Amino acid sequence: MARRGRRRRRRAENIAGWGFASPTVLLVLVLTFVPMGWAFVLSFQHNDLISPPHSVGLANYKALPNDSELRQAISNTVYFTLAVVPLELILGLGVAIMLNQRIRLKSFYRTCFLVPFIASAAAEGILFTFIFDPNFGAVNSLLHGMGFTRQGFLENPDQALYVMAAVYLWGYIGLNIVIYSAALQDVSAEVLEAAAIDGAGAWARFRHVILPTVAPQTVFLAIWGLIDSLQLFDLIYATTKGGPLHATETVAYYIYDLVFGGVFFAAGYGAAVSVGLFGFTLIVVVLVSVLERRTYGAQL
Amino acid sequence: MLRNANRPALARFEGLIVTRTREGIGMRRAIIRTAMLAAVIAAAGCGGSSSSSNQAASSGGKVTIVMWHGQSSPDDKLLANLAKQYMALHPNVTIQTSSGGTTTDGMLQKVTTALAAGTYPDIAYIYGSWAANLARSPQVADIHSVVNDPAYGWSDYWGSERARLTVGQKVIGLPAVVDNLVVMYNKKVFDQLKIPYPSADWSWDDFRAVAKRCTNPAAQTFGIGYPTDSSEDTTWRFWPMLWQGGGSILTPDQKQAAFNSAAGVSALTTLQQMATVDHSMYLDPTNGKLEQLFIGGKTCMRISGPWELLDYKAAKLDYGVQVLPGTNGDHQTISGPDDWVIFNHDSARVQAALGFLNWLDSPQQDAQWILASGSLPVRASVMKDQAYQKFLTAYPGVDTIVANLQNAKQAEPNITQYPQLSKYVGDAIVGVLLGRAQPQQALDDAASKTNSLLAVPQ
Repeated sequence: MARRGRRRRRRAENIAGWGFASPTVLLVLVLTFVPMGWAFVLSFQHNDLISPPHSVGLANYKALPNDSELRQAISNTVYFTLAVVPLELILGLGVAIMLNQRIRLKSFYRTCFLVPFIASAAAEGILFTFIFDPNFGAVNSLLHGMGFTRQGFLENPDQALYVMAAVYLWGYIGLNIVIYSAALQDVSAEVLEAAAIDGAGAWARFRHVILPTVAPQTVFLAIWGLIDSLQLFDLIYATTKGGPLHATETVAYYIYDLVFGGVFFAAGYGAAVSVGLFGFTLIVVVLVSVLERRTYGAQL
Repeated sequence: MLRNANRPALARFEGLIVTRTREGIGMRRAIIRTAMLAAVIAAAGCGGSSSSSNQAASSGGKVTIVMWHGQSSPDDKLLANLAKQYMALHPNVTIQTSSGGTTTDGMLQKVTTALAAGTYPDIAYIYGSWAANLARSPQVADIHSVVNDPAYGWSDYWGSERARLTVGQKVIGLPAVVDNLVVMYNKKVFDQLKIPYPSADWSWDDFRAVAKRCTNPAAQTFGIGYPTDSSEDTTWRFWPMLWQGGGSILTPDQKQAAFNSAAGVSALTTLQQMATVDHSMYLDPTNGKLEQLFIGGKTCMRISGPWELLDYKAAKLDYGVQVLPGTNGDHQTISGPDDWVIFNHDSARVQAALGFLNWLDSPQQDAQWILASGSLPVRASVMKDQAYQKFLTAYPGVDTIVANLQNAKQAEPNITQYPQLSKYVGDAIVGVLLGRAQPQQALDDAASKTNSLLAVPQ
């Protein structure tokens, strides 16, 4: 009897639990999984979202390797990610450590770094197209004043992607600084002191005490940064629209262009590219987390 | 495709409508035409699958239709007011106007998703270059049997508009606005530099020389700005130059690219010289700064159209307007009409949508509309309306732009592959302007891509 009563109680708790969770679950299902499923179905169709679709089997996927614009978009995205993610982590931790010193107006500085993160990518993008304007922008005025030649920046296909990376870093570094700042509070002062007494220098203290302590946050930020930069869209949309000459075209922007850009009308093929991007991101994220777990296994 | 998004399409008009008399020849003609449409559509059996989407519906002789115009304030209010006026005249029709939750730039995206979801409107504002692709939708109405009736007056509309709306055998809507490219110049800057104002018979060499004179690296001034985002904005400024030299975009059977001809190379070389030799051309990869640079006197000329006139007026800019420079005396331009595309829910709603658009496009309404917005008349008979004279005085130079409609002798090919073709050519132009490619090689490259594209059966 007692056991049955307990079971009944547990079932009642389960129902209550699901009752609380169901609105969120429903939202996630409707707004995330249904569109994902639809995109998956689309990827097997010739579909322009205008005329009646028809099934094409794997044709969209088979076309992927022959798409030179996609190849460029992938290489742009990979270069961008490789440039941005390590810098985000290094600069984020560096600034967080500096802000962790006993300095005045510490929280003011922290706020300053967080503000760009709060600002919208569209606003940032527009702001920086003016700052980096080759003819009238502040950066070139500065360079010119210092005796350097003027640069093309967003006008120059060789520089545009790196300018985008710099703007992106400016906008997103705030998150890393805040997370690392919080993590640094967990670094035990006693351990640091003990290490110092044992003769550990600043670098050794950083390498063997601080870095292992913030390892879980590093894994989180690395994965977060990877997902974010592999799917970069908003900043590109607000500034260069993938140009000049596809130099800043990321995979996510290319997908948008394929489906909604008013040029290709290729929703089916675009969906196939997006399934590819999803799969690639998933693999990279799993690899990174496995690698980092292996490295910092003890702490995670 | 910023050209019409930037254009404040339907400006402060509300005050004017209130004082309009609603009777008159134009109005009567519109009513007769609406009645005629009803008969033709009924005869043609234009009914399609009826949809319960939107709350709009037709029942018991009353029809509710939805219009997505993509306009923001104050233009949205203007359209709402026009709809209200129309509803007062036609109590059995209810028109719900809204932006559609987007801008004209985002309308295609909005409409395609709405089509997929079955919640599409009855009327939407669609850029001309999207028309061919949108026409593939079975939900897009076909009104060719209506407009092909000789009594309809379809020929009163400009040729470029009719060409854009006719996709194969289908006619998918009525013109919303029309424009064409001219050269605007900053009179103050011209006076300061003692450059004589351009005359109607000027050539591209004259144009280049003027641009060079306006260029001053120390003062950071340029002759002209050019959008280098490889968009339709990049391409459509190039087509008139190609046409003037006797070139064409495609071969007559529309199966092969023809823009890499000597005429194309010569046109692109002119632009190349300005960008890479004279440095008289400001290149804008964001395609968002050029109008402001012209208004601010940083570029002394601008190749643009009537949609910017309201902004010039607001900025109190002392500007002049001249036709495009010519090649061997040919001053062809290009006209980029935008459309009110009609979608088919059922025949009653198509009929109501057509009735409203006809009324909107009637000479009387249109004459008032252009006065408020600085747009060009959508049809020739508008120029006979009394209000038209007021329009000419309200917008200095607009008479040149209206007259220039006659110079729009050719249109972009109305094929589904056009937007992609445009992008290939856009890339070619940008590559050359950035000094990364030579005109012949860049155009050949774009032509070979175009040919493979056209070889794929649609």
